[in-house]
Amino acid sequence: MRFLIVDDSSTMRRIIINTLNKLGHKDCYEAANGREGLERLAAATVDMIITDWNMPEMTGVEFIRAVRASESTRGLPVLMVTTNAAQDDIVEAMRAGVNNYVVKPFTPDTIREKIESALEG
Amino acid sequence: MDIPREIVANLIRATTDVFETMVLKRIDLIDPAKEIPPRAGSQVAATVGFTGHRCGAVVFHAGADVAREIAGALLAMPAAEVNGEMADAIGEVTNMIAGTLRTRMASLEPAWAIAVPTVTIGSDFVTRYATDAARVLCAFDMEGQGIQVELILNRQ
Repeated sequence: MRFLIVDDSSTMRRIIINTLNKLGHKDCYEAANGREGLERLAAATVDMIITDWNMPEMTGVEFIRAVRASESTRGLPVLMVTTNAAQDDIVEAMRAGVNNYVVKPFTPDTIREKIESALEG
Repeated sequence: MDIPREIVANLIRATTDVFETMVLKRIDLIDPAKEIPPRAGSQVAATVGFTGHRCGAVVFHAGADVAREIAGALLAMPAAEVNGEMADAIGEVTNMIAGTLRTRMASLEPAWAIAVPTVTIGSDFVTRYATDAARVLCAFDMEGQGIQVELILNRQ
């Protein structure tokens, strides 16, 4: 599987990629914000998006809305990884089109379960 | 102005959760100090401000070597090889502590909005606060090394 990791923190991108590598997923693209994420999606084919919420230029929610609005990417499963875990946050993300939600801090098992769940959904 | 006890308890729990889950290091609370001790050895200070129902900041303090060790643990790389990654890593640790605190407090009161982290690195800086801001400094032992997490609440 090929993943696109969208996060303005290079640390968090690295943590997520390390986690995916541990889970056997070696193909990962990176983007530092939603706008870069859309550029990546236009240039490469991916199987799943993992995105942060709070990012400069284009937030995770704005990015997901753009993904869902595009014919070529609207069916991609999307995981959101964020510290925004209040009930209202989760509702907003789900309305924007997130398939599943990972709250930081997280364990590798949580990421694996959420990926499997997003793929089933 | 006193800081409500449940906020301090949730800050301590949030810090412990982040270290045990993401940094994979055990930390133990030394003293939930009412009398604020000097921040001896603080060379890295990461700040995440918040506003809304409450207004203030969470500040993470560590010495440079400890900060490098935390960054290495977070990034799964030897501490000796950590260099430019340290500021972003400590900012992310602080972001997770503040975000977890926000989430925990959102079950008790309206959710706050939190800002992106700012990281200060150096050995000769002083932080001045609004005179009516309340502060609490939680000191932790991380495998024999000290780290501190400070909560500043401004009067609204």
